[in-house]
Amino acid sequence: MYVIIVGCGRVGAELGKLLSQEGHNVVIIDKNPAAFDRLGGAFNGLTLAGNGFDLNLLKQAGIENADAFCAVTNGDNTNLISAQVAKKIFKVSKVIARIYDPQRAHIYSALGLDIISGTVLFAAMIRDKIIESRFSSYLIESKDTGVIEIEVKNNLVGKKVGEMNIAGEFIAVAIRRMEGVLLPDADTILKEKDILMAAVKVASLKKIKERFDL
Amino acid sequence: MTYKMYILIVGAGKVGYFLAKRLSAGGNTVGIIDKDKAVCEEVARQLEALVINGDGCDPRILEEGGVARSDVIAAVTGDDEDNLIICQLAKERFKVTRTVGRVNNPDNEHTFSELGVDVPIDATKIIAKIIEEEVSFSDFVNLMSFKRGKLAIVRVDLPDDSPAIEKEVKDVRLPPDSVLVSIVRGEEVIVPKGDTVLKSGDDIIAITAVGNEPQLLNLLVGKL
Repeated sequence: MYVIIVGCGRVGAELGKLLSQEGHNVVIIDKNPAAFDRLGGAFNGLTLAGNGFDLNLLKQAGIENADAFCAVTNGDNTNLISAQVAKKIFKVSKVIARIYDPQRAHIYSALGLDIISGTVLFAAMIRDKIIESRFSSYLIESKDTGVIEIEVKNNLVGKKVGEMNIAGEFIAVAIRRMEGVLLPDADTILKEKDILMAAVKVASLKKIKERFDL
Repeated sequence: MTYKMYILIVGAGKVGYFLAKRLSAGGNTVGIIDKDKAVCEEVARQLEALVINGDGCDPRILEEGGVARSDVIAAVTGDDEDNLIICQLAKERFKVTRTVGRVNNPDNEHTFSELGVDVPIDATKIIAKIIEEEVSFSDFVNLMSFKRGKLAIVRVDLPDDSPAIEKEVKDVRLPPDSVLVSIVRGEEVIVPKGDTVLKSGDDIIAITAVGNEPQLLNLLVGKL
């Protein structure tokens, strides 16, 4: 893939190195040419110094042929504008913007931009680790709903998945067992040593843990 | 009685402050947002206006400034990114119908229009244009463009050797979408009719579609 990255900070440089190591064509843009030092010697993409929404610079970066565009500077406004320029003016098919401010992240996601908010994500991830080590909300990118892993022990062996589900609060979505991962239906019976994965409301976590004696 | 508006201005530098002063002198209600606390205090002392100290890119600050009830928002900070985001938030989130954004770097004007700013104002370009016109000795001056640059009001001084001199207006074959609005002859302002005769030294004000300016010039001045 041909990927343009705006912002060569820690995230941008790491992303650039990852993609370039995997053989993708990467162009990375930063206002400050000294930022390119972060890329090290192994990076074999292109670097361009300048403003991430400068139309001429973006053309020079080959934006008309780009498959993906990521705006990951430390400025929310710069990222929002660069991403919109890529999406609306140059019609890049995959455009991602990193936004710190949760409120702006929310508004612009609603307007159809693909937003990743590190602030929301990290806060939720750390919260997950604190309240329950086998729970993660970042998979569904929401702070209200997450995925929990439950190790099936005596008290659950032989139960049907349908008996466990609680509408709106807890839905079993996958079972990992020796043979592989299966997607259960209501009649699937739990076996010992199964790992049951379920979507669960954060607000219902306590209730679920008590009910299944976790 | 003319309709009085509520106008929210973000950025209380020279432009924002002067704008606020003019608008409130005209009887409108004005709200001002600026990041700088000292600037806000000064503005609050000078003007009858709601003054909010904060970042206009923050939706909560815009709300405090009464964005939801504003008829117009004018983002006139010195930062193009901020101005663009403020206009977008006002329009998309708070349904403000008219957004005016100051463009600091002329390269960004196109981006402002593409990303939904109703009226991008590029002060640098406007000033450069005025200066350019003032220093040029041309007989042809573009007074203003409107309808997003599709129509222009122009002023033409008829020189002695103009091919239009001593002709009646109806015999001057104007290019399409062009009309003579008035003739300034000395102290006199004439509204041209078909039988008005053009004289050397006449100052002609005309409206024309922008692409037809050269034809109009050719007709009235006799050169391109």
